[in-house]
Amino acid sequence: MAMAELILIFATNADAMIATKALKDAGVTAKMIPKPAGVDSTANLCLAIDGSAENDAASALNVAGISFGGVAR
Amino acid sequence: MKLSLRTRLLGAVVVAVVLIFLCSVIAARAVLQHDLYDLARTEVTSEASAFGGYVASRKQQVELLVAQEAASDALRASLQHHDTAALQSELSASASNAGLSFLTVVDTSGKVIARASTRGGGTLAKDALVQSALSGEALGTIWHVSRAFLSSEGLALQVGSLDGGLAIAAATPISDAQGRTIGALYGGALLNHAYDLVDEATRAIGGASALLQGDTIISSSIDRPDGTRFVDAQVPAADDVLRLGHAFVGSDTEGGTEYYASITPLTDAQGRTIGAMWYGLPLSQITSIIGHTTQALVLWLVLAVVVVLALAIPFVQGLSKTLARNSTRIRETAKELGIVIVGSEVSGDQVTAAKHAVERSGELLAQAAAGNAVGERIAELQGLNHELESDVTVVETLTQEMSTRMNDAVKRVAELNEVAAALNELVTGESS
Repeated sequence: MAMAELILIFATNADAMIATKALKDAGVTAKMIPKPAGVDSTANLCLAIDGSAENDAASALNVAGISFGGVAR
Repeated sequence: MKLSLRTRLLGAVVVAVVLIFLCSVIAARAVLQHDLYDLARTEVTSEASAFGGYVASRKQQVELLVAQEAASDALRASLQHHDTAALQSELSASASNAGLSFLTVVDTSGKVIARASTRGGGTLAKDALVQSALSGEALGTIWHVSRAFLSSEGLALQVGSLDGGLAIAAATPISDAQGRTIGALYGGALLNHAYDLVDEATRAIGGASALLQGDTIISSSIDRPDGTRFVDAQVPAADDVLRLGHAFVGSDTEGGTEYYASITPLTDAQGRTIGAMWYGLPLSQITSIIGHTTQALVLWLVLAVVVVLALAIPFVQGLSKTLARNSTRIRETAKELGIVIVGSEVSGDQVTAAKHAVERSGELLAQAAAGNAVGERIAELQGLNHELESDVTVVETLTQEMSTRMNDAVKRVAELNEVAAALNELVTGESS
C-alpha cells in the first residue's frame, strides 16, 4: 500500500483484528501489516491507513470501543 | 435507575412478607373488632338487663316498704283519729329508716293529711297512683312526680330546673279493722340527683349506669374527665328510644368518654315512656385490646422481616454471586468467540489480498517475458514481492493467533455448556 502514511499500533493482535473489521465496516481503507522495526508494541500486527483518513479512523475505532496504543508516521 | 438482581430479590422477599403480614394484620384486626363488638353488644345488653334488675328490685323494695307502713296499726289509728302530729312523726321516722324521699297519707278524698317531710295540706286526688290506692289497688311504678308535689314535699331543689322529677313510687290503701279503705299511703324515692341506685349497680356489674328523665341524665355513675359526676345533660341517642319505645345499643359519648351503650325505655304503670335506663361499657376497653393486638402483630411483622432478611440475604448473595460469575464467563466467552469470528473474516480478507498480489505477479511476469516494458514490470514485481512478504507474515501471524484462539474457543464452548447446565440446575433444580 504505497499511499500509507500512518501506522496504527495496538496492544494485542486481537485488537488489531477487531480494528480492521471496524474500519472496514466504517468504510476506512486499512491494511494489516507486520509490526515495523522500531515500533514499540506488544502486538505483532499493525494497521496502515492513509494519512487523510486519520480522523475517520479514530472516530470509527472510538465508536467500536477500541483503543489503540499509538500512531507511527 | 436499574436495580441489581440482589436488590430486586431481597425487595421481592421483603414486599411479599410485608404484604402477607399486612393482609394478616388487617384481617385479624377486622375479625377481632367484629368479635369484640359482638361480645360488647352481648355484655352491654346483659349488664343493662342486670341494671334493670336493680331498678326493678328497688321498685319492689319501695312497694314493700309502703305496704308494710300502710299496714301499721299505729298509722291506722292515727289516721282514724286525725292525729296529724302523730302521723307526721311516724311517717318521718319510717321514711328515714326506709330511705324514702317522701311518705304521705291522704284521706279517702285524696286530701293530704300528713307528710313525712313537711306539714300536711293540699290534695293528691288527681294522682293516678293515689286514685288506684283509694280504689283498693296497691301499685308501685317508676313515676313522674310534678314540680308542685315536689315543692310541697320540700324536694323541688333536688330536680333543679326540670319540670318535675322521676321517682320510684308506690301507693297502698289504708284499711280499718273491717277492711274499709280509710285513706292511702303514698311513698317513694326520688331519683333525681340520688346516686345510691346507679352506684350500687356500677359496683356490682361494672361499666357506668345512668337514669334519664326524658332525655336528661338525672342520676349517673359516669365520671367526667375531671372526676366529677356527669348529670343534667341531654342524651341525643335517647330521643328515638323515647319516641319509639325501642331499646338502643351502640356507640354513645357521654361525659367525654365514648361508650358502647344500651338505652332501654322506662315506662310507668300507665304505659307511658317517661325516661330511660342507660348502661355503657367504655369503648377504650375494646379499642385498647384492638390496639394492643395490632401493635403486637406489627412487632411480629418487624421481627419476621428481620428473620426473613437474615435468612434471605446469604441465599440471595450466593445466588447473585453464582449468576454474576456465570454471566462473566458468558461475556468473556462471547467476546473471545467474537474475536475468532472477526479474525476469520480478517484472515480471509488477508488471504484474498495475497492471492490478488500473486495473480498480479503472474501477469507482470507474463508481460516481462513478452518483452513489454521489462524494466518497469520488474520494478513493479519487486514492490509486489515486498508486499507479498508482508502479507505472508501477516497471514502467518494471523494463522498462529487464530489457531490459539480456536483452541481457546473450543474450551470456552465447553465452559458455556457447563454454565448452561449450572443455570438450568439453579432454575429447575434438575442436574443435567
